[in-house]
Amino acid sequence: MNKSKIIISLLLLLVFIGRFIPSSFAQLADLSISPPLIEMAIKPGKVVLIAYTLHNFGDPTVITTKVLPFEPKDSNGNIKIKEEFEGPIRFSLDNNDIQLDKPFFLRTKTSQQLLLRMRVPEGAPAGDYYYTFISETQAPPSLDGNTSPRSKVAIGSNILITVTSDGNIEVKGRISKFNVIPHFTLPKIFNNLTIFDVGDKIPIILTLENTGNNLIKPYGNIIMKGSFGEIATYDLIPQNILAHSQRTILATPSAMIDCQDDKNMRLCKASNTLTLAGFFLGNYKLSTTINFGENTGILNASTSFLVFPVKLTIGLAIMFLILYLIFRKVRSTESET
Amino acid sequence: MSHVSCCIYRSTFALIIFALLIWVNPHIAHADNLESTQYRIEFGNVNLGAKSQTSTSYNLDTTIGQTAFGQFDSTGYIIKAGFQYIHSIIPFRFSLSSTNINLGALSPNSPSTATTNLTVTFGGAGAYQVTGIEETPLQTQTGSQIPDTSCDTSCDETTAGQWISNSAYGFGYNMYGLDIPATFSSTDYYRRFPDRSAAESPALIMSNSNVGTGRTATMTFKANISSVQPGGSYQTIINFVATPSY
Repeated sequence: MNKSKIIISLLLLLVFIGRFIPSSFAQLADLSISPPLIEMAIKPGKVVLIAYTLHNFGDPTVITTKVLPFEPKDSNGNIKIKEEFEGPIRFSLDNNDIQLDKPFFLRTKTSQQLLLRMRVPEGAPAGDYYYTFISETQAPPSLDGNTSPRSKVAIGSNILITVTSDGNIEVKGRISKFNVIPHFTLPKIFNNLTIFDVGDKIPIILTLENTGNNLIKPYGNIIMKGSFGEIATYDLIPQNILAHSQRTILATPSAMIDCQDDKNMRLCKASNTLTLAGFFLGNYKLSTTINFGENTGILNASTSFLVFPVKLTIGLAIMFLILYLIFRKVRSTESET
Repeated sequence: MSHVSCCIYRSTFALIIFALLIWVNPHIAHADNLESTQYRIEFGNVNLGAKSQTSTSYNLDTTIGQTAFGQFDSTGYIIKAGFQYIHSIIPFRFSLSSTNINLGALSPNSPSTATTNLTVTFGGAGAYQVTGIEETPLQTQTGSQIPDTSCDTSCDETTAGQWISNSAYGFGYNMYGLDIPATFSSTDYYRRFPDRSAAESPALIMSNSNVGTGRTATMTFKANISSVQPGGSYQTIINFVATPSY
């Protein structure tokens, strides 16, 4: 009886210890930030204050915040954060006890509101300025005697600022690419006809270029018309296209591609606007109509593709060829006998 | 036919008719998230509270929930918070399962590996990227360095190469899982980190242009030294930066 009581007491003690001691001593870094994006059109001389919420879901950590400019890296919406601050916008934190570039401590499962003040000085040149508000953890202490790369984790939120004195935004966009990624392309004498096999996924790329000084958003759709009269409409998602950059715009609804499957490697190497999946047969025409907001011009482009049972046709051709050869062989054998 | 049998038949018939009615009209309403194959609207319409902030220089309305991601309008500026086409309150979140990667005490011609998991949740962001860069190559306090790997034949900061030979030395990483660069075609393929001390730019290690949650990839660090490598504790700092798109 006494033994049972001791065992039960020990088990309870273990449960109690297990409940209140962290389950792992691994250095877990886990941060979240909200909102993920701020877009702003502002006059010179104005000040705005944005409240960010930074949450620490990981181990207790020391965090430093900073603001750095960024530029678009490619046409897929990726960015390159610059190493040094530049531009006319002045940033500071309005928190009493936290400043930019000064570390502060954030306990596990706690959040910190960060009040980012943005000031546009009088006389700031009109144009777009792009920044990332970054919250970065410190690297953990090194493990003496071992080889140990240590990691710093940073999470960012982008800030897109358009400085304009009169509220006018420069809207200058164009379609730089609208086509399907071909599976088979016939020679030029066939007018570069793009062919897909029945059952293939059909990736479509629509890349827009912003040649103006302010960011723009595209509105519009892609319409597919088949040779049997079928019509499908896919709406463009109004993603930002930064000044003097290109962006491959997404459309919805799109089929998803399993990039873990090696068969889809061809499709996963490039970023697509839209992937069509389903049963297609015949000639299809794709057209897109785009504008960049009210009272802006309309852009149009079109392309086409042909869906044909390529593998089935090749298979049947090979089969008939083999049958023909067998038939010839049999006939020649018969004639010899 | 007895009266009891008649009742049993009638009840059975009624049940079959009832079951058929349910079967042909299966539209059951759920208070759920709105989603398509491409986009998922989390908690479609939630407004929890609101507050106005004013001073002499600004007038800013804040709220928790959907209208927090609406348009704030005031004299002299317009602010839009969040992605206007995704009405989600899921914050952008990034985690690293271990920030201290222990490769242990290295032995010549015996590669040492260690892993960490990177997870990104970006239900409220249209797309995301994670970049990585090392401050310096792995080095001791006295300045001895383990150079960045060139794999078995060749690899660099953007292109991975096969690294299975025990006589190929250096430090590099492989990635396996979701949203990783296509160059990591198998778990034997490694590449080197860009080196900030050599003024190189961070490398893209995860990205996705569609909305998603809990996207996880595993990074495997690998180091292999030759017999002439000086002993010591080799260290470096790897910077991971996760940002939503714009």
